[in-house]
Amino acid sequence: MSGDTDRVEVTLDKWPDDADSDEGVVVNWFAREGADVEAEESLCEVQIEKVSVDVLAPTDGTLAEIVCGEDDEFERGDTLAWVEP
Amino acid sequence: MSQQTQKVERDLTMSRAMVEAIAEEMRDNEEVFYMGEDVADYGGIFDSTEGLREEFGYDRVMDVPISETAYLGAAVGAAQAGMRPIAELMFVDFFGVAMDQIYNQMAKNTYMSGGNVSVPMVLTAAVGGTYNDAAQHSQTLYGTFAHVPGMKVVVPSTAYDAKGLMHNAIRDDDPVVYMFHKRLMGIGWLPAPDGPKTPVPKEDYTIPFGSADVKREGEDATIVTLGLHVHRALEAAESLAEDGISAEVIDLRSLVPLDTETIVDSVEKTGKLVVVDEDYRSYGVTGEIVASVADESLAALDSVERVALPDVPIPYSRPMEQEVVPDADDIAAAVERTQE
Repeated sequence: MSGDTDRVEVTLDKWPDDADSDEGVVVNWFAREGADVEAEESLCEVQIEKVSVDVLAPTDGTLAEIVCGEDDEFERGDTLAWVEP
Repeated sequence: MSQQTQKVERDLTMSRAMVEAIAEEMRDNEEVFYMGEDVADYGGIFDSTEGLREEFGYDRVMDVPISETAYLGAAVGAAQAGMRPIAELMFVDFFGVAMDQIYNQMAKNTYMSGGNVSVPMVLTAAVGGTYNDAAQHSQTLYGTFAHVPGMKVVVPSTAYDAKGLMHNAIRDDDPVVYMFHKRLMGIGWLPAPDGPKTPVPKEDYTIPFGSADVKREGEDATIVTLGLHVHRALEAAESLAEDGISAEVIDLRSLVPLDTETIVDSVEKTGKLVVVDEDYRSYGVTGEIVASVADESLAALDSVERVALPDVPIPYSRPMEQEVVPDADDIAAAVERTQE
């Protein structure tokens, strides 16, 4: 069975260059926990200083856990969710 | 539902569902193109074209100068020449500067030409208030567009409906006005209520015009509405249920053609009709729906209520705008009055 160590974190890879802030807010989730997702598929939309950015699935797999729900704030580098390959 | 429990593949916001339908039609048919103000690089100020320019380029996703008369006229001409333009009014409130193109050309050229040309275009327009943008950027104007013969008028309230209605609008050989409510699009700075973001199949599908959708079934009263107020009516129905009042909520989805049958069937069951509209009260959707039911089934009407914007310009001030735009409490109160 795959343990926690096999899970891949979902995070925003490319922080907008022109953003001064290191904080963002999750606006929309497009996948629910338990959903099958494909690599590069848009999993959620976050907003940083009014700029919307999509967060993509890091790998094929199952969206195991959403860590930051809609309207939750997060900081640069935070884990937003976990995908089990 | 026939097989196993169907797994939700993904949820989409209304704007993404609209864009998915447009992109699919653009891939299938090179005659489909989009033009409007800030629709290319910006992606539409309400995300109505997000990502389209990146896929299709500037020839098919065109930013236009600020002249609604010029580019709506160009869209009418392109449609008559066999293309399938989608032209966007950034705010429906701006229709006035292009009223001749919309009311006299787009709507009437099929008739005036004796059927020698058709006008297979879609006019998209952002509608609605609730975000303090004042009297010239907050109207819905549903009645103004549904009034003139020659145009079909659709108003989605969910992502699922938005995608199916958009596919149908682009494929239709007549002009279609597609009015999307800003508050439903799912934009970060303009948060939507719970409800418009729904599961959306990846495959394409159409929703026929003139098919209202019973969004909630009930026995004691019929609430007929559209757009943002579908969600406010559902919220009202939820609170009414706690008081033992069972309200049916009908989402019109299209004003032209109008699905009178679904409304009349419901009123014949409940006897009470509450029409809720974000447009002005006079000469509008509320009066039209009540009159349509009276024409078909006068005896079924025990009680009627209209909940609409009073006949005033929409205020900029937040508390004043909240006062004039009907909310869930206003709808619930109207339903309660029909039960007395």
